[in-house]
Amino acid sequence: MAAEPPAAPGRGGAPGRGARWRGAVGWATGSVPVSIVLALLIGAVAIVIAGKDPLAAYRAMVEGALTGPGLANTIQRAIPIVGLAMGLAIAIRAGVFNLGAEGQMVLGGLAGTVVALEMPGPGLVVLVAACLAAVLAGALWAALSAVLQTGLGVPILITSLLLNYPARYLSSYLVRFPLRDESSSMVATAPVPEDARIAPLIPGTSGLGRSLAESLGRDDVLVLVTRGVNWSILVVLAIVGLAAFVNRRTPGGLESGLAGLNPRFARYGGVDTSRLAVSTMMISGGISGLVGVMLVLGSQYRLIEGALVGTNYAWTGLLVALLAANRPLRVLVVGTFFAALVVGGEAMQRSQDVSAQISQVIQAAVIVLIAIRVRLPLPKRSRQVREPAGTADPAAVSEAETQVGRV
Amino acid sequence: MTLELELRGITRRFPGVVANDRIDLDVRKGEIHALMGENGAGKSTLMSILYGLLHPDEGEIWVRGERQHFSSPNDAIAAGLGMVFQSFKLFPSLTVAENVVYGREPTRGRRLARASAERQVTELAQRYGLAVDATARVEDLPVGVLQRVEIVKALYREASVLILDEPTAVLTPQESEALFEVLRALARDGRTIIFITHKLKEVMAMSDRVTVLRDGRAVARFVTAQTSPAEITRAMTGRDVTPRVTPPAQPPGEPVLRCRGLRIEGEHGRPVVDDATFEVRAGEIVGIAGVAGNGQAELIEAITGLRSVAAGTVEIAGRDVAGGSVADRRASGLSYIPEDRHAVGTAGAADTAANLALGHHRRPPLLRRGLLQPQAVKEHASTLIDRFQIKVSGPETRVGTLSGGNLQKVVVAREMSHGAPLLIAEQPTRGVDVGAIEFIHAEVTACRDRGGAVLLVSAELSEILSLSGRILIMFEGRIVAELGAAEADEATLGLLMAGASPEMVSRHGR
Repeated sequence: MAAEPPAAPGRGGAPGRGARWRGAVGWATGSVPVSIVLALLIGAVAIVIAGKDPLAAYRAMVEGALTGPGLANTIQRAIPIVGLAMGLAIAIRAGVFNLGAEGQMVLGGLAGTVVALEMPGPGLVVLVAACLAAVLAGALWAALSAVLQTGLGVPILITSLLLNYPARYLSSYLVRFPLRDESSSMVATAPVPEDARIAPLIPGTSGLGRSLAESLGRDDVLVLVTRGVNWSILVVLAIVGLAAFVNRRTPGGLESGLAGLNPRFARYGGVDTSRLAVSTMMISGGISGLVGVMLVLGSQYRLIEGALVGTNYAWTGLLVALLAANRPLRVLVVGTFFAALVVGGEAMQRSQDVSAQISQVIQAAVIVLIAIRVRLPLPKRSRQVREPAGTADPAAVSEAETQVGRV
Repeated sequence: MTLELELRGITRRFPGVVANDRIDLDVRKGEIHALMGENGAGKSTLMSILYGLLHPDEGEIWVRGERQHFSSPNDAIAAGLGMVFQSFKLFPSLTVAENVVYGREPTRGRRLARASAERQVTELAQRYGLAVDATARVEDLPVGVLQRVEIVKALYREASVLILDEPTAVLTPQESEALFEVLRALARDGRTIIFITHKLKEVMAMSDRVTVLRDGRAVARFVTAQTSPAEITRAMTGRDVTPRVTPPAQPPGEPVLRCRGLRIEGEHGRPVVDDATFEVRAGEIVGIAGVAGNGQAELIEAITGLRSVAAGTVEIAGRDVAGGSVADRRASGLSYIPEDRHAVGTAGAADTAANLALGHHRRPPLLRRGLLQPQAVKEHASTLIDRFQIKVSGPETRVGTLSGGNLQKVVVAREMSHGAPLLIAEQPTRGVDVGAIEFIHAEVTACRDRGGAVLLVSAELSEILSLSGRILIMFEGRIVAELGAAEADEATLGLLMAGASPEMVSRHGR
């Protein structure tokens, strides 16, 4: 990332196809992929120390993450990670450090679950209403942080982080007591009605699903993926696409990018940065809320105590957003990669008896290596002189701040 | 005779530019050597190479007859070089003495020998007439004193060659004069001074010899006593600069900016600007003169919407915008060249196209059917880069890599191209080279001749005097006098800026 252009709000001009291709090659040889390879080596050392065969372990990991039911699992897991990361990337790109994705997601899940449980009517209407309620809940919770900053000067960074706790414990209380389904052994709400759930792309019970399974075989990848992945993938892909479009092609996208790079410049140019902070937080929180409800209605079918927080998706999403330098398409790639690491790690544990923590070691190593890379003395290459590095890196941000008296 | 310092064939390339192209530089022991050149000519790059901050692609550095390879400033310091940057590198919360001895502390046992440090610093400062209180905390000191601290710091590290990067850019005229005295004393003592500057007056007054850079090459070397300002200017710009500004062809028209009873409050509700009433008409340039800190900056911030107004009105083109936003003011017809091009006027990490687009991006041709047109954004940038002769490799280059003058041209290009009825130009040529000054002045007068109203704030009296049709003088937050172009001269302005009453000045003058 060190040699990358910044989180590029300002990519005003359309780069030619050649330039874009060169950019892609540049990124592939850049610090993110290099760090991933190094991290895999470090992981291999850890596996050897654990007395296992790293090649076999990695084969199990790759197969477990990218083939058969594992692929469906990876994709399904990537949906919330990419979704949350996208919500955060939108905020961070605008200079709004939203650390409250977790709380916003939990409240979204809560609001959506309540609507899905209580609202009468046809399933699809209930489903849409639940999603809207979730977006609203996440957005309002996030807006609270923004208003505290613009009104009272308390940084969003702090309030959004702290507001995770009331959100978590409010939901916890409601699930444990008023909303608790006593007939279940789980600490959870009652299951949401079946017709209000988010369906798999092609349910195995449907006619199409059955005929597909008959013609391709039950274990065919296409069958497994269409069965194991639900429609929320389209929602997340749409969010990614929309974000990429907004960043590049709308005045608001240009303004928020510039505000992220230099808020004083944006204000001087006529951008109302307070309003921008509020609207950005609402979009960011709304997306987190939507991810929350999609997890409930698409995977868990009921709000289970601690389940949304326990996934740690919000924090994985934050890392993804930072590593992807807030660029939507990179968020998609990096988020999917992280999902594959987790799923592959579980597969590795199952088949090779290598602890799944190894995949967390690899994840952590990727992050640390990328952070270190930014601070390494840059070799004397002409393309490297454009320090300070990409503004989306936490390390680089402080680097850039402290660069004084430059030539 | 061996030279104190010798650079041979220094070459350094950046993407798209050769910043230094086979530069030779000879500096003799005990001389004051001026390094001149327009912004982007390569002065800062050359000095960064000399100080070990950058590595040359080619070329050699010799100090007192020995070949040197500086891999960091520490090596340069060890070879007896000291550098005073434009932005000071001091710890605000430490005292002067602590800052000076940092890294080479005199110790008693394992503890800092504070008294000894303070004594050494005081002695060193006094020897060269540097008035510095060794026990003062750096954060409490004004800019001029900080610079002296930096000089003492270099001397404490036994620098025999002192490099100063535009040392007078942050100083008042009196402080500059004091600095020159110090530099002369250092030179008499056998130390060698290299100073980078744009200001011809300083070069003529101070230096023994001059090296001029242009487009990355050393194009001329002069012995100061045998040259003239005109000759140096020609070498710097490759042409003659005539500082003539054409007077307006037509009398001013309707008022475009009108402030009435403007009051701006600072901390604790104290007024920083009080009862400011004035107007700027179409087709005229009104200058605001004043010693820095007398309310000019706050006044401009209030007019442009970056600071709230406590009382009074600000009318732009007949609309009261005092309670409105920056966007309201810009919509009414404000364009604004801010004082600080780095912190306010640009986003360094964004590309040139985006920096030039802000403010134009919600109108055709950049915006069509509600969408930004990437091709139009790029063309907009390319057009302005050509028209304003901005030295940049292209619209996708980050502006943070541009030199000061070119960055200023980005700001000027963006604001001028609005064709807005009101232009506020705040220190439009600060830290900018002669060629760019001439260009910016021509643009400002062209704006006036198109019928634009221009409010000019400048610390350079010559700039105010040559451009303005009327001059307002600010003192302690009030507009204390207004002079027509004909009745103003530097002496009168100086007295008024220092707080003399207009009656006194007129009695004194006539």
